[in-house]
Parts: sequence; C-alpha cells; structure tokens
Amino acid sequence: MKRSKLIAFGALSALVLSLLSAVAPAQAARDLKGSVCAQEGQVRTISGVTYTCERVSGALQYAQGRKLSGTLNVLCTPQELWCVEMTKAFQAKTGVTTKFIRLSSGEALTRLVASKNNPEFDVWTGGPNDSHISGRIQGVIEAYKSPTRNMLKSQFKDADGFWTGIYMGALGFCSNTNELKRLGVKAPTSWNDLLNAKFKGNFMMAHPGTSGTAYTALWSQVLRLGSEDAAINYMKELNKNVLSYTRSGAGPTGPLGRGEVATGLVFSHDCTAAILRGNPLVVSFPKEGTGFEIGGIALVKGAKNPDAAKAYIDFALSAEAQNIGPAKAESFQILTNPNAKYDRRMINLKKVTLLNYEAEAAGTASVKLKARFDKEVALASSAK
Amino acid sequence: MSTKARGGKYDIFTKLALVLVLIIVGFLIVLPLLNILVYSSQPSGSAIVKGSFSDIVTRNIIWNTVKLGLTVAALGTLLGFIMAYTQARVEFRGKKILHIINLVPIISPPFAFATAIIVLFGRSGMITRGIFDWRPTLYGYPGLVLVLTLSFFPIAYMNLLGMLRSLDPALDEAGASLGANKWRIFRTVTLPLLIPGFAGSFLLLFIESIADLANPLIIGGSYTVLASRAYMAINGDYDISLAAGYSLLLLLPALLVFLIQRYWAQKKSVISVTGKPSGRPTVVTSKVARTFLLTVTGLLTGLILLIYATVVLGAFVQIIGVNNEFTLSHFQYLLGGFANGAIKTTTTLALIATPLSGIFGMLIAWLVVRKVRRGSEALDFLGMLGIAVPGTVIGIGYAITYNDPVKIAGVTVFPQVAGGAALIGGSIAIIMVYIIRSSPAGQRSGIAMLQQIDPAIEEASASLGAAGGKTFRLVTLPLISGAFLSGLMYAFAHSMTTLSPIIFLVTPDTSILTQKILAEADQGRYGNVFALCCILIMLIMIIGGLINLLVRRTQVSIDRPMVTGR
Repeated sequence: MKRSKLIAFGALSALVLSLLSAVAPAQAARDLKGSVCAQEGQVRTISGVTYTCERVSGALQYAQGRKLSGTLNVLCTPQELWCVEMTKAFQAKTGVTTKFIRLSSGEALTRLVASKNNPEFDVWTGGPNDSHISGRIQGVIEAYKSPTRNMLKSQFKDADGFWTGIYMGALGFCSNTNELKRLGVKAPTSWNDLLNAKFKGNFMMAHPGTSGTAYTALWSQVLRLGSEDAAINYMKELNKNVLSYTRSGAGPTGPLGRGEVATGLVFSHDCTAAILRGNPLVVSFPKEGTGFEIGGIALVKGAKNPDAAKAYIDFALSAEAQNIGPAKAESFQILTNPNAKYDRRMINLKKVTLLNYEAEAAGTASVKLKARFDKEVALASSAK
Repeated sequence: MSTKARGGKYDIFTKLALVLVLIIVGFLIVLPLLNILVYSSQPSGSAIVKGSFSDIVTRNIIWNTVKLGLTVAALGTLLGFIMAYTQARVEFRGKKILHIINLVPIISPPFAFATAIIVLFGRSGMITRGIFDWRPTLYGYPGLVLVLTLSFFPIAYMNLLGMLRSLDPALDEAGASLGANKWRIFRTVTLPLLIPGFAGSFLLLFIESIADLANPLIIGGSYTVLASRAYMAINGDYDISLAAGYSLLLLLPALLVFLIQRYWAQKKSVISVTGKPSGRPTVVTSKVARTFLLTVTGLLTGLILLIYATVVLGAFVQIIGVNNEFTLSHFQYLLGGFANGAIKTTTTLALIATPLSGIFGMLIAWLVVRKVRRGSEALDFLGMLGIAVPGTVIGIGYAITYNDPVKIAGVTVFPQVAGGAALIGGSIAIIMVYIIRSSPAGQRSGIAMLQQIDPAIEEASASLGAAGGKTFRLVTLPLISGAFLSGLMYAFAHSMTTLSPIIFLVTPDTSILTQKILAEADQGRYGNVFALCCILIMLIMIIGGLINLLVRRTQVSIDRPMVTGR
C-alpha cells in the first residue's frame, strides 16, 4: 500500500469512527422500554442496558431493561466449542465479562451441590434436562421464566420455570463404516442389534454416572422394556460388548473415528459433527424408538450475578443465539426457538421414532438408578 | 557420623523456620488429609472402608490398583536401571542426546503417551494394524502398564543414574584387586550398593502408578482402579463421603509403602561423606553385556522418539492415521480463543508456585539434615507427604476443606481458597497444590546434597559468629544451589503437567491446560490433544530454559535423585 493511500485510509477511518461516536451518545439517551421491536426474543443492549423483545398483549415490544455489570460465570455442559462461541457472543452483545467452565452433566451437578452455600456459578447451560431436574430436587437451581419461553412448545419448558429447553437431541448409533465392512455387519437399527456377538469389544458409550447422554440411554431402556430391572439386565448384556465407558457423552466419537471400535451410542449430533471433521462414520437409529434429551438452561440458586444470568438465559433462548450452534460450533441439535434456522445436518424428526421420554421421571430416578448401574453392571464387569 | 550441628538449644532462626514449615505443611496437606478421614467415617465412606475385604467389588478395585502399581514399579525400575547403567558404564556415541530423550517423559503432559500409544499400537494402530495387521486391545490393564511404565521409568532412571555416578570407583577397584571379575563385582558390589536406589525407585513408581488418574480415565476401559473410582464417586455418585472412603483406601497403601521404603533404605544407605567420588568408573567391555544394554536402550529410546513424533505429527494433520492431510486448524482453534486463557493462567500459577516450592523444599531439607535433632525423620516425612499422597486424594481433600472458610470454634483461621467463589477465583488452592506437589523433589535433592557436604563448613561459619539465618543464606544455600536449581526446573515442569489434584479445583477463572487436554482427549479430538501437548512442551522448554538462565550461577548437572508425581 502506498503512503498516500495509507493516509487516506487513516483519515477515512477516523471520520467513520467520529461519526459513530457521535451517534452513540444519541442512542445512549434512549430508553428502549416500551418501544416496538421486530423479533420476539431478540436481545439488545444499548448503553449498558440489556432489553429483551417480548410479546405484551399481542404486540412486540422491549420490556424493562436490565443494567448489567460484573462478571458472569457460566457452567456449560455441551461441547467446549459451543460454550466458547456462546459466551463470546453474549459478552460481545452485553459487555458483561463472561467466563465458563465445561463439565459433563454429572460433574456439573456435583460442583453445584458442593458450592451450594457459596455458589460459584450463575447459570447452568446445556446437558439433558433430567440433570437439571435432579438439580431442582437437590435445591441448586431456581425458577426463572424468561419472556421468550412463550414461544416454546410446552414440552421444551418446565411449567414451574426451573429449566427451559434450548435444544433437543436424539440418541443414535454411530458406526465406523470400515469396521462394519470388516466385521461383515450392517449399521445397527435396533437396540437388540447392539447385542450381536460380533460387536464384542467393539462397542463404546459413556458412563451414566458422569454423562447425561449415557443416562438418557439407560432411562430409554427403562421406558422401552418397562422396568428398571429389565433395563439393568439389558445393560448387563450390552456390557459384554463394551470396550470402555467414556467420561462424557461424545467421548466414543474419537475411538469410533479411528476404528478402535465398530459402533457406539452417542447423541446423533455428536456423530454428525465427527463426520464433518472427516471421520468415516455413519448415523443410524433404533427402530423401536430412541431416547432424546432436551438441553436445559437454568438459573443457579443464589447466583452472584442474577441479572446477567437472566439476560444470558433470554439470550440463549433467542433465535440469534441458537443459530450460533450450527453456524459456528459444529453443533447440530434441533433448536427450540421456532424462529431459529433449520440446518440440513440436523436430524429429521419425521424419520426417527422417539420414545415417550419424560425427563421428570428420569431425573427423579437418576441417583438410585445410576448407583445400580455402577454396582450391577460397570463394576461387576471389572470384578471379572 | 552425625551431620547435625552440635549444641544445646535451637537458635531463633531455626525455631521460626520450624514453626513456619509446620504451619505451611499443616494447611497444605495435613488438614485436607484429616478431612478425608472425617468424611470417610460417614456412612457411605465407612461402608466402603469396612467392606474393603468382604465386598468383592471393592476388593477387586483394590487388587486392580495394587497389581497395576506392582507391575509398573517393577518394570519401570528395571528399565530405568538398564538405561542408567548404560548411560553410566557403557561407552558409546550420542550419550548426551540419549540422556535428554530419557528425561523428556518427565515433562510430558498427561495423555500425550496414552493417545499416541492408541494411535500407534491400538486396534487400528498405525503400527499394530498398519504393519502387522494385529488388533491388540489396549484399553485396560495392558495399555495402562505400557503407558505408565513409559511415563514413569525416567524417575527410576534419574534416581539410579545419580547413585551410579556417586558410587566411589575405588570400591570397584578394590573388588578387582581382590581378584573378582566384572560380573562378580556387578553382582556383589554395584547391585548391593544400589539397593536404596532400587527401593526408592520402586516406591516412587508404585505410588505414581496407583495415584495416576488421567490414564485410567482415558484408556482404563473396564479396569477400575481406586483413583478412577474415587473420581466417579465425586462426579457420578455425587457422594463426597464415598470418595473420601476410596481416597483413604488409596492413601493407606501409598503411605505404607512409603514408610517401609524410608525405614529400609535408611538402614542400607551408604553416604559418601567425603564428598564427590574421584577417579574413573569401570566401563562395560563384555560384548554380550554391551549388545544387550545397547539394544534395550536403543529400542526404548526409539519408542519414545516415535511417540513424540506421533504427538508432533498428530498436531499438524487432520486426523492422524485416518486423514493425514496437513492442517493448522488445531492450532488455529486452540489459539483462537479455546486455550489462550488456560495458557496464561497455567503459566502464571506455575511461575508463582515455582520459587515458593523451591525455597520451601530447601528449607525443610536444611532443617532435616542440619538442625532438627529429635523428630527429623518425622519432619522429612511431613514434607514428603505431598508426593506420598496420591494426587486424587489431595484434590478431593482440598475440595472438601477449602470450598468453605476453615473455622475453629467459629473463628475463621483460613479463608475459602478453592472454588469459583473463593478469592482470586480459586487460584490460591491451585498454587497450594502446585507447591505441596513439587516441593518434595527439591527437598529430596537438597537432603541428598547436604548429606554429602561436611557440616564442619557450617560449624565454621557459626563459630565465627554468624547467626543461623546468615549461615543458611551465605553458606548453606550456595552449597546446595545445584539442588535448588534442579528443584526449580522440576517444580515448574511438574506444575505445568499436574492434573489429578487440579481436576477437582478448576473454576471458570482458573482454566488449566491439563484439564483442557482431558476435555479434548475425552471428546476424542486427538488432533487438539496433540496440539495442546505441543504447546505445553514448548512452554516448559522456553520458560524452563529462562529459569535456568536466571538462576544458574554455577555449572551444575541435574542428575540428582528425583521424585515426581502427577
């Protein structure tokens, strides 16, 4: 670049900047409360005050703004990349310093319980909502009804407001195509296909103790087979084929991609993300019906920064925030906001049979059922 | 011969130092351990402890743990000895490079070995399947033994090399002049003299391998050990008492083995009080012995190189072994926001902990060797607790103790230092763990150094009128500066790669690199794991080198007895 051009460029950008700064104070004077807005759920910040666009007696308008300050500590359960992008976007939008730590749902719940007296987090985002329900029972989350909830189908929200769904994912089988060929089997399409002796030492899933994904799988067996005993028996059979239980739900995708094992049980969107990274994998679903998760978001009880936490929940429910997942974070869960974009890489619910999964019952039973799994299935096998 | 200063009462400097050390040790390790005891006596914990022999599941977990510890300790000590003996007694080219390669695993980040081994030797390993069409199952006991032996043998290597070099060649010469051949000298002179070294190495490797949490989490398969079970108790069962129960079961064998070794090694230890040995050690000339030693050494070194090549290569290709297309995307991802904070925090906290743990270790060493007359062994033991206690146990102890302010009769005696709501986002607890985990290395090398230095030098200083503090500063410290430096280097590298205690203490403010590696390894994104390992190794090399330049005053070699722990 020539020197004169450089100067011209400098002058131009100075002009633009000064124009912008001239406009900013004009905006600062504005209070958006009561003013009309275009899209329900849209979150907007003007001069440090954050507003949510909501429907008040039929018309869309910005309600009472929140003056946000301080730091927001997010406990984040989905993929790390998603956590990075979501917190980054919220910080850019509101100016609130937003930090997160990524923990699997079991670990997250433990941390919340451990710091109950002096909470270290403000908001807990993502992970199957039965862990949020377990959190409600243990008294670590509190109700917050975001105005944006009105847009959501009733299955996506807790009537009392303790959790709200931000995405939905279905369990699927994730198989390595090369390994399937080598073993001479087709991708499993039934829960019983997993028990095929050819898959001995060739199957991987997460441990229900640490992973919400795996607990969803365990509860799916209870639903499908009718009782906890039957579910435990199925898991015992399945355990014969298990090479290793991973800590988090998406854990099997790595070994699956490498061909360490032939098939595994994960949320289908995790398998899809692995396929996009170049792994020779294929997704299939059990024809008897599969379990699904509703990824919940909840306000932590006694949060140090409840205003920012509530604004974050509003934001996470907005179409704008939900679109971040497929666009920037390799996350292809089904989104709960009806205005969020459908992505072709998401699953088509018309082609997948879902079990009649009730998170409430799953969450209530979780502590005991996980203990049973550990004692009767996982540890019993290590004792052999 | 006593190496203690003679005389009646302790001077004021010694008294102050002693009180300070006891307070620090009290908060850094004793209190968290006491809390483990308290919590494990609650119902679910005590059920596990009581059922440790009757309950088949618990008994198996204990046996798994002990079996793993014994195997790795035996194999690692053997390998370490072969490598050390080759280094000390065989003439060949490329010795220096070999020495460095053998030390690298000490500063190796967790998971680097486990992931690389799976890539190379797993069921779809580039070597096992790619070359031999063989599909071994590494998940479980075999993989753990392989990975842990490779990760920890350098501890034995360091220990035994230091001892081999300090053996007085005059002993060999005496044997030879009495008519013994080399093999006989090796059996009847060298080996017996090395017994404390073998015992020490075996102990450290045993404790290291039963304490390891990272590898059982990744390649343990269904082979459950106490460390991974205690982790599950916290993160799966949400039961702190249960975790404390398993921690206690893990703590007992570790402490027991530690005590046995100290007592045994102490009795057999040969201290050369005359200072450094003089003369040239005998060299192995037998063809058979030479070929054997060089073959084993060559194979092992080759394997280490192969593993590191995999780590580096894996960081720069899409999915190593599956899609070997060159890419910078892993680094772009990590440095584009994912790991920046962790890099900064981890380095800062490790840098704060490094000098503190170095000074602390030296201070204890000095008190133990020179000052404290009664109970010096107890003091030494207290200082070594940080390494004798498995990292998982320390982490759980800290989480129990420091997530709330420590109160005695309602008065806060120590603030809340762990957890996101604590001061400075919980970073103090992490620094505390770094200090207590790495100061034993300095303490050990300080003690080894001091025991070889005649106390008369310090006595001379004292009789010329210097007070305790002045003598320590002007006489003792310069004498043990070599040990101090190696302690610092080690403390830094070790802090940077610590995982098992940290995993219970990370907060949104203190994101730690090793924990990021665990997250990526667990999600199966090996490319990111390898790239993170590369970043971590680079950081250790660059900053470790800077520390070396800053502190180095005299030419020192770093082959002092070493201890480690992850």
